[in-house]
Amino acid sequence: MNTNKYISDAVKKIPPSGIRKFFDLVTNSKDIISLGVGEPDFVTPWEIRKEGIETLRRGNTTYTSNLGLLELRIAISYFLKTHYDLNYDPEKEIMVTIGASEAIDLALRALLNDGDEVLIPEPSYVSYAPCVILTRGVPVFIPTDEKNNFILTPDDLRSKITSKTKALILPYPNNPTGAIMRKEDLEEIVDVIIEKDLIVISDEIYSELTYEGKHVSITSLPGMKERTILINGFSKAFAMTGWRLGYIAAEHEFIGAMNKIHQYTTICAPITAQYAAIKGIYECEEDIIKMRETYDQRRRFIVNGFREIGLDCFEPKGAFYIFSPIKKTGMTSQEFCKKLLKEEKVAVVPGNAFGPSGEGYVRVSYAYSIDKIAKALERIKHFAEKIL
Amino acid sequence: MIDWEKLNHELITALIDVKVMPQQDLGFNAIAHKICQFKEVKSVSLVSGTYDLSVEVKGKTMKEIALFVAEKLAPIEGALSTTTHFILKRHKKDGVLYEENQDDKRLVIAP
Repeated sequence: MNTNKYISDAVKKIPPSGIRKFFDLVTNSKDIISLGVGEPDFVTPWEIRKEGIETLRRGNTTYTSNLGLLELRIAISYFLKTHYDLNYDPEKEIMVTIGASEAIDLALRALLNDGDEVLIPEPSYVSYAPCVILTRGVPVFIPTDEKNNFILTPDDLRSKITSKTKALILPYPNNPTGAIMRKEDLEEIVDVIIEKDLIVISDEIYSELTYEGKHVSITSLPGMKERTILINGFSKAFAMTGWRLGYIAAEHEFIGAMNKIHQYTTICAPITAQYAAIKGIYECEEDIIKMRETYDQRRRFIVNGFREIGLDCFEPKGAFYIFSPIKKTGMTSQEFCKKLLKEEKVAVVPGNAFGPSGEGYVRVSYAYSIDKIAKALERIKHFAEKIL
Repeated sequence: MIDWEKLNHELITALIDVKVMPQQDLGFNAIAHKICQFKEVKSVSLVSGTYDLSVEVKGKTMKEIALFVAEKLAPIEGALSTTTHFILKRHKKDGVLYEENQDDKRLVIAP
């Protein structure tokens, strides 16, 4: 049977993941040091894990309301207020999702009609364009570059807007570049967004991991709350990736639309994770700070390490990646990563996996212990001496 | 913060519980002061509970510490008994966790 002919055109249109290909290569290698992971190396703080266990012991094993436990939405509202000075009504303007990943999908599905265009600055996280395609929308990439610190500029934004443009995905702090958009950078694009009547899907999953000043959300700027769907979650700040817990904060009607999809597709996020996250918000502030300080220490260590080796490195201000240009080696990102893996057994991710502008770069994660980073740096140094 | 176990010139640490006979007018102070004079002794504290003084001692070998206790500490006048606890492994010190080589349970590559 020709199974392929039964698969939908939208799914067929999604290109194979650049990371997936590389993943297969790495999985078959032995004794490698991987700096290729996009999740914290910390285990979830103990207080949160304990609450998860207690929740099971108490027998809380049911569905929750579609929007998520009200106590959790109140806690999220408190978190957004205390951390970013945002005001969201826990009863109407917040919903809990299965990771920020579901939130991205919900936002796109709630907004897009067939053929609507969605702007995506790149390089950026790998799931935006596929989710747009699955919703029968059209992803339109906006290249960003190192000269502009990988931020979205008003001119670049304006140049890609057409009559079909519906929304802009704003992925800062950014995976893979580590770029952030400061308040003044955001202010510059707000006029264009309002003038062109765009909705912003702001993916702020790395908002707790900024190293030179606090994160500013675009929704805090005048006129932006009503046109922003703010996405965040517990994976990065609380090291809770495997719990699958994210949330959306937005205007009541947006939440209503997204909840309509959510209630029929997933019902609710897992209750164990929801109870545990409440504990996290109220009692794990110190853990968040400690993790951030540790990432910052590693960040400075690895940036210096790369510079000493003679590989340049864009200075990341957020997330836990460095994005290093390797153009002067004369190799493509893929070639560089394959050769580094084969000859020195270090895994990093080719920059072009995150969009065409990532070509000529590699993403190196520093969600690893200093010991491991130091060992990897030794190997990378040895590699660089051969090729530079 | 230094993880001395990772260096070659590591020292052995022992915590020694000392029961003493308090002296009239001087209490525990005179004998505590006397113990403080030994260069092997890193800290001395008066504690509540089943013994009186907690003494931290460092030495190159267990034998060196054992001899220090037998020849210098135990014979002090007023020292009734000693119990020596050698520190076998440190997990946390001064708020810093000593890192263990835990298995990385994550996938090797992830977006």
